[in-house]
Amino acid sequence: MSRLGNRADWADDEEFDDPSALPAQQVIANKDGTKTVISYRFNDDNKKVKVTRRIKTTVVREHVNPQVAERRKWEKFGLEKGHAPGPTFDTTSVGENIVFRPTVNWKANAKEEEKEGGEKGSMKDQLKDKKVKCRICSGEHFTARCPFKDTMAPVEEGTAGAPGVEAEEDKGGLGAGNSSYVPPHMRKGGAGGGEKMGGRFEKDDLATLRVTNVSELAEENELRDLFERFGRVTRVFLARDRETQRAKGFAFISYADRGDAELACQKVDGFGYRHLILRVEFAKRST
Amino acid sequence: MRPILLSGHERSLTQIKFNSDGDLLFSTSKDKIVCAWWSANGERLGTYSGHQGAVWTVDVSPNTTLLATGSADNTVRLWNIKTGECVKVWDFPTAVKRVAFSPDGSRLLAVTEKRMGFLGTIAVLDINYDGTYTEQAAEPSLVITCEDSKATVAQWSFLAKYILAGHEDGSVSQYDPKTGDIVENIQIHEFDSAITDLQMSPDRLSFITASKDKSAKLISARNLAILKTYTTDTPLNTASITPKKSFVILGGGQAAMDVTTTSARQGKFEARFWHSIVGEEVGRVKGHFGPLNTIDVHPAGTAYASGGEDGYVRVHHFDKSYFDFLYEVEREHLREQARK
Repeated sequence: MSRLGNRADWADDEEFDDPSALPAQQVIANKDGTKTVISYRFNDDNKKVKVTRRIKTTVVREHVNPQVAERRKWEKFGLEKGHAPGPTFDTTSVGENIVFRPTVNWKANAKEEEKEGGEKGSMKDQLKDKKVKCRICSGEHFTARCPFKDTMAPVEEGTAGAPGVEAEEDKGGLGAGNSSYVPPHMRKGGAGGGEKMGGRFEKDDLATLRVTNVSELAEENELRDLFERFGRVTRVFLARDRETQRAKGFAFISYADRGDAELACQKVDGFGYRHLILRVEFAKRST
Repeated sequence: MRPILLSGHERSLTQIKFNSDGDLLFSTSKDKIVCAWWSANGERLGTYSGHQGAVWTVDVSPNTTLLATGSADNTVRLWNIKTGECVKVWDFPTAVKRVAFSPDGSRLLAVTEKRMGFLGTIAVLDINYDGTYTEQAAEPSLVITCEDSKATVAQWSFLAKYILAGHEDGSVSQYDPKTGDIVENIQIHEFDSAITDLQMSPDRLSFITASKDKSAKLISARNLAILKTYTTDTPLNTASITPKKSFVILGGGQAAMDVTTTSARQGKFEARFWHSIVGEEVGRVKGHFGPLNTIDVHPAGTAYASGGEDGYVRVHHFDKSYFDFLYEVEREHLREQARK
């Protein structure tokens, strides 16, 4: 209000401390070529919001036919008439990143995933036909709600339970009687799962090479071409930076055959690739 | 890939179309307006307003000067793409469900609905590109009447030799665009499951049909032989052939009236990518909250857009993994060719 009056009044300086004023926008250049822009604005509830954006700028030069270039100069019309060039927020937005990788046996993979997801997601379904059973009187209520809670002792599982339950408890071992704890290696199916896991790693490691000192500009395809000349490559994994999508400097190459891997290890170790000398060795187990 | 969401429509999308260079994208919806977008960044170039009812269909002339739209207000309108002005209105007795320019742009076909005692027809209109485009023929140069089952979709074959039409009863027919005679009619899809989309391959030698019988079929334009069948688990609304990679993209979902009772997951509102030759599904792209009504692929094969019942258009520019994907067979074939 005072702004309308005498502008030179020193009292107006107070406005600088006004909580409604917004700090200026900050731009910080990062090491990896990205920019961090910190700006402030008010949201719908009139609260101050700090917005931090990391922006990576890439200049893409494109050669288009003259008609397309000419169309670029067209004025907006209809509902957009008179609007400045550039997308407006009310009609255009950018969605969440979607990872789309076509895969050969997509259907089988998706089914497996769904099965896993289904088991995890539907705890309710799993417990749907389980009944509440009282440990004291075996009635259909929680033990804490049992009317005989104070007068009766809990029924011993070992004596009242089915033989199957007994057997399982023996397997559980430890001889602690009522203890329900079962060590992981004794759990049903637990041992098998563990073995399988170890087995898988071993098999993988047999013919997997670790390649280090890989150029930042390396591409999976180039690596595949490079290593494929020694035998059938089953997998190429090139570690990439999540933000910039640049290679991180190491890669894993899996061969179908250990012999091919050995040969490749010998031949490519010390090979010059994109100004850097590759170092190739057999991948070690991560533990 | 990060999809660009275009939210210029207030009701469900009916058709989207890239122009021949792929720099513009046109979308129509049931909310009476037609939008033009830059496909690279999703900026809206403008809107074409004038229709009095839901706009069912859109097509762009091959030289990107004229836009044709068909609507439930029983008209076909021709627009000057650059200025957004309507240059011509043709009145029909019933709603227009599909329009398509011939490969050279000299003719436009319009599929009209069967309603109020009128039979479904396919009308062919001659297009004049002189001056301000306003001097167009008043009457269609040819009207094909579909006596058995109304046509729902239609397209021009290679060199505009045939008009290919998909019918409500699941059959596909070839018409001669000079005389209007029916050349062939073949029951391609299950009887009485309407064909919902028909799109040509880039060379117009084959086309793909999508149907409510949950399958899409790749068909030869020459003799209507079925080349491939892609069977899915949901009614399909649209199907498209991708240039550059040999994929087809299928879109569909549970009918709109059943959607409220099903979750997005069960509704199957995904764009499905199939390898067109191997005939195997290779991936899906999620994102829409409702059935996919229409899909179109960038003519260079670098992007695709889908329009849904949820009122959104999603433009996806493919990233590297899409172009890198090859079957082992294809990879071997490439290596062999490189050796030669």
